[in-house]
Amino acid sequence: MKNKTFALAAATLALAISGAVQAGGAELYQSKTCWSCHGKDAKSPVLPIYPKLAGQNEAYLLNQMKDIKSGTRNNGQSAAMKGVMGMVNEAEMAEIAKWLAGLK
Amino acid sequence: MNPKLLLKSGMIALSLMSASVASAADIVKWNAAGGEEEEALKLEPDLENGMDVFEVCSACHLTEGWGEKTGTFPQIAGQHRNVLIKQLADIRAGNRDNPTMYPFSLPESIGDAQALADVTAYIAKLPMNPDWGKGPWPPGTPEYAKGEKLFKDNCVKCHKAHGEGDNEKFYPKIQGQHYKYMLRQFEWIRDGKRRNANPDMMKQIKNFSDDDMKKVINWVTHQKVDPKLLAPSKDWVNPDFAD
Repeated sequence: MKNKTFALAAATLALAISGAVQAGGAELYQSKTCWSCHGKDAKSPVLPIYPKLAGQNEAYLLNQMKDIKSGTRNNGQSAAMKGVMGMVNEAEMAEIAKWLAGLK
Repeated sequence: MNPKLLLKSGMIALSLMSASVASAADIVKWNAAGGEEEEALKLEPDLENGMDVFEVCSACHLTEGWGEKTGTFPQIAGQHRNVLIKQLADIRAGNRDNPTMYPFSLPESIGDAQALADVTAYIAKLPMNPDWGKGPWPPGTPEYAKGEKLFKDNCVKCHKAHGEGDNEKFYPKIQGQHYKYMLRQFEWIRDGKRRNANPDMMKQIKNFSDDDMKKVINWVTHQKVDPKLLAPSKDWVNPDFAD
């Protein structure tokens, strides 16, 4: 557990140094619990069947979030994400998508 | 991806699929003896390790274990330990559908039966959020009164006079829980979607309308919680995780 804490701290630090952090999206990515599954660095998902999101196309990210929330997309493990999308509105999705797309 | 990892992810995917295709017909025998639940109940908890394990839980349930008023995540702080053990063991055994939490409940994420014993001891001791999500009808309204009658006629035998629950019998504490979380669980229990629900409760509430459901849960959310179980304020932060 200690190693994990260190790794997470290092990942957070790496993000801060890369300068790609845009406050709104970064905060939302944590507070809306995205990072619980997709990893604090957005490229270390908790299960290998979950996607890495860092550097993904902004428009694609936004569409997936919208479709999973509305139920239009309901394949794979989207049921796991639909449960939390009730907390995220469309403006927040756009912030998160923009921030994720800007990550290396 | 190396073959071992591929195999592991395939196995996880399969278990996730089987967990999500199980239908209402697969309602499990409530609190059957054996399994990890029984194992964890017998182990001596290590609170220090429980705190380490809780870091995983805190990503969603927050470091205070208070969950969210939106009802997305329940308040787990102060819940009866036996209830926590049963629910965790059920989720990871695939007896309770919870696709969001499932991966975090796995031994790879949190550890073995000892980890269940440890983290549940830690969570049960956390002070509860004094500002939980309440229903829309305060005392004095007709909706509150209707809810009170429904509760007294249907719920007190197990959940006790004010929703205190019963650790020994694995009945959850529902006072202090978020309104919206309870609405969802009640509906899932009534409609057979939760799967690990007590069959006596399913029978008891099967004729509840959505309106009855809202009123009875509203009443619970307006009951006082013993101040000794509550954090001193809604701004309290868990010192174990404050940096």
